[in-house]
Amino acid sequence: MNSTFAGIEMGKRSLVTHTTAMTTVGHNLGNAAKDGYSRQRVEMKAFDPIYMPGLNREETAGQLGQGVTADKIERIHDKILEGRIVKQANGEGYWKTRDKYVLMMEQVYNEPGDISVRAQMDQFWDSWQELSMYPEQTSARHSVLERGKSLIEGIHRRYEGLSEIREMLEQEVQGTVQRINSTLAEVSEINEQIVKIEAMGDNPNDLLDQRDRLVNRLSSLVDISVSGRDPDEFTIHSGGMHLLQGRVANYLSAEPNTQNEGYSDVVWRESGEEFLPRGGELAGYLELRDDDVREEIQGLDMMTINFTDMVNSIHRDAYGKNGKTGQDFFTEWPFVNNVSGNYDRSGDGEFDSTYLFRITGSNSLDPQQQIGLEGTISLSGPQGNVEIDYNSTDTVEELVSRINTSGSEVVARLDRNGRLDLKASPAAEVENPDFVIRHIEDSGQFLAGYSGVLTETGDAGAYDWEQADAVTALRGEGVDYSVAPLSHPAGWTELNPAIANDPDSIAAGFGKNGEVADSGSGDAALAIAQLRNGDVMVGKYRGFNDYFSQAVTKVGLKGEAADRAYETEQEIMQELKGMKDSISGVNIDEELSQMIKFQHGYAAASKYISQVNQMLDTIINRMGV
Amino acid sequence: MERISSNMSINDMQYQLNKRNQNLYDLNNQMSTQSRVNNLRDDPLAAGHSTRYLSRITHLERYAKNAERIKSEHRVAEGYMKSANSILHRVRELAVQGANDTYTKSDKQAMGQEINQLLNELIEIGNARNADGTTMFGGDKTSTNPYRVLRGTIPEAGGQVVTNVEYRGSIKPSVVEIGQGNYMKKHFPGNEVLWAEQQQVFSGVNAQNYVVDTDTSIQIDGEEIGLNAGDNIHNIIAKINDSKAQVKASLDPVNNSLALTTTSPHQLYLQDAGEGTVLQDLGVITDIGKPPFNIASDANSSGGSLFDMVIHLRDRLYAGDTIDIGGSALKGIDLAQDKLLSSMSELGAQDERMQVALRRIEHEIPELQEQNSKEVDLDFTKAITDLKELEQAHKAALGAAGRIMQPTLLDFLR
Repeated sequence: MNSTFAGIEMGKRSLVTHTTAMTTVGHNLGNAAKDGYSRQRVEMKAFDPIYMPGLNREETAGQLGQGVTADKIERIHDKILEGRIVKQANGEGYWKTRDKYVLMMEQVYNEPGDISVRAQMDQFWDSWQELSMYPEQTSARHSVLERGKSLIEGIHRRYEGLSEIREMLEQEVQGTVQRINSTLAEVSEINEQIVKIEAMGDNPNDLLDQRDRLVNRLSSLVDISVSGRDPDEFTIHSGGMHLLQGRVANYLSAEPNTQNEGYSDVVWRESGEEFLPRGGELAGYLELRDDDVREEIQGLDMMTINFTDMVNSIHRDAYGKNGKTGQDFFTEWPFVNNVSGNYDRSGDGEFDSTYLFRITGSNSLDPQQQIGLEGTISLSGPQGNVEIDYNSTDTVEELVSRINTSGSEVVARLDRNGRLDLKASPAAEVENPDFVIRHIEDSGQFLAGYSGVLTETGDAGAYDWEQADAVTALRGEGVDYSVAPLSHPAGWTELNPAIANDPDSIAAGFGKNGEVADSGSGDAALAIAQLRNGDVMVGKYRGFNDYFSQAVTKVGLKGEAADRAYETEQEIMQELKGMKDSISGVNIDEELSQMIKFQHGYAAASKYISQVNQMLDTIINRMGV
Repeated sequence: MERISSNMSINDMQYQLNKRNQNLYDLNNQMSTQSRVNNLRDDPLAAGHSTRYLSRITHLERYAKNAERIKSEHRVAEGYMKSANSILHRVRELAVQGANDTYTKSDKQAMGQEINQLLNELIEIGNARNADGTTMFGGDKTSTNPYRVLRGTIPEAGGQVVTNVEYRGSIKPSVVEIGQGNYMKKHFPGNEVLWAEQQQVFSGVNAQNYVVDTDTSIQIDGEEIGLNAGDNIHNIIAKINDSKAQVKASLDPVNNSLALTTTSPHQLYLQDAGEGTVLQDLGVITDIGKPPFNIASDANSSGGSLFDMVIHLRDRLYAGDTIDIGGSALKGIDLAQDKLLSSMSELGAQDERMQVALRRIEHEIPELQEQNSKEVDLDFTKAITDLKELEQAHKAALGAAGRIMQPTLLDFLR
């Protein structure tokens, strides 16, 4: 039989349930503007009706409903969609960093415009043309000097701009590693709480939201995959390794790498093994720092060292107005401070390598002439040596262009006297020094007797950098070579102070037969001005025009790609977030109508209670016992 | 039906607003810089091309500047050559007059006096200088006078007169670039422009059995001619004749010695390169003195400059030697005038070449500027219409958002 006060109990239950629902509406409204908040719903359930089947069951009509109760408070959430957002976030993070930093690189170029390094170099060549017109004038020399200075300043500025970007990227790498670690720590803490709350049978809705937000942030930093296969142990992987397993986090750390100019590698803190991210901001920063910006700096270095070396080698042969000769126009510090290029690479106090940037053979060659020799040249390449075959019908020109397209890290050209110039280009691998010729060998006579670079053919006569005094393999007197720079030429090249202090030392004429050039002789100035248009081999580029225009195009294309990709990623993210919002987001109108609903429910319940109260009043007070 | 949460429309609007703002900003930037490419990413290929165009334009402007300056210097030089030519006219007139026996000896001496004055004038022209103080006829030796004057006494002249004029300039004309790989002479060596006769050098040494003993080279007029060990005199002659030097070598049939003759009138500069001694061994030069003053004493050298011709004529007039005046002296003046005229016509031809080069440059620069402009400059009409379009869209979006986002159920609850 039903209890007398069952009605009040049921009414109270309804009041409580509706209050809970109202509170949840309030919670939803309060968090309506919060990013990543999932709306919550009180799942109402009809209270267990009476009676359950059993012997003591009363013989009345059943079952009799017992009103409502709040079964659980749930967040409205799509797990699969959340997974897609997490996946997407690392692409967005990656392209966001590229977009930002490539734009910075573009701005360093100042192109197209008249204050770029290219424009300054044009002005520099122009001043040599002027000097070739008026070789007897000091004023033309002043103009060469001043334009030389502003060109060098321009190169320095570009170098500083680029290396500043590289520094910033290094800081970003370190900062990102810290952010990853702190995010991991937060997630592990939340995991602990979630497990406890879930053990009580409650839904930790707000904590779950918070964890989702943190995982999202983590995913934009580094490529991760999330697995909830074991409901009690939330795990995050990256590159097949556990970043987080329940409460146990594996932290990362940034360790400086001396081989990479002191820039940090990202390693696992525990094992010290290298961590290689494949997406997210961290991958973007590392890639920009070690590939894109490094490449740009190398390109600038390469342009600078080729440019200064070529100007110097002509300038040294020519005479200044004051009769001085043999002076360099540009100087670079620190160069390998040893005439034979000997260098102590291991730092043990003994010379162990030879650092040469350029080797010029002693013989003058005719580009159209057939070699009439056979053999195989091997030159240092990015991975091991690159072999270049030649046979007797090849012309010198053909062989030179074959060397230049072979993929070796040595390029060749004929200088203005027709001698074979071999120059080092930047090294692709971090462990190899830039602008150092590492290996030259020829099984035939081309590099030996024909062009006069090496003394002997074959293995025995090979030039190899990994020994001191390797210059002994070169063909004695007629060979000219220049030593390699130790630091970035673009940052440390200056005008020769001897020339800056005495502009009359700037050479304009070659002179003949070892005699001082005449005052009106401008052939050397003209030869320098002509470097601009010649096929002078600036690394892999044919000349300065190619270098400048390709450098600009390359960085521009990178920027364009980053810009488009970032926009696409943003668009997709926007779409996904919209979908998530459509499911989980709070709609104020909806909440308000829910509120009205619960308000009415509450009002109805209280009406019901007062009705029951009246009924009880009738029984208790009016039945007149 | 998709459910719309309250934040969705706001987020969406923010996102779209941002994008549109970015577009507006970009367009605004383009309009204010007048350039389509503000960052390289806006059009990387156009930026790459533009750098080439801009460099090329700088270059062409330099070539045009060079050509213009050379042109004006050539004009000045031409003026001097013209006045030298008119002096030679007068000299020739006097020579023709003097070759006539109707004039007395004292008449001829008076003519000699006039020519002496004209000679001084010619020397002045030889040492003429440009506005910037550089010599015009000294090759690339531009700071010192190309002609040195030696004076001596001739009884008939009644005092010191010029007896010899030596060329001290260089033989190397300096060149200037007026187009890629297109060079133009800047100075004119006086021993070419102001020269008269072909120069001949006959060595007195029998070269029949001469053999070069080591690889070496010789220089003729600055042209280096390589010789190999084992070359005999015939090889040497062939190599000289194959070279770019304007000289013809032959074997003198009488002495079996080396003979050199210029193929166009100019002074010969003969020199052994480096340590070589081939020309010395062949008896052409000595190791004393520098060219052109190093011809061996027992070698026979002939051929003179314009000044030599005028001095010769003057001296013959002083002497009253009618036959020589009308013969060798008059012929010498004719040769000098011929050479001067041919130099002037060469100058004219160079001027024409320069005009062509200049016209080409003047045509090419605007062409390149147009190409560059097509690559990077802004199409203003398009930019303005784009801007207007964006502006309208922007206003409409803002207006719509303002209206849609305002009302909620709250507005209608009591």
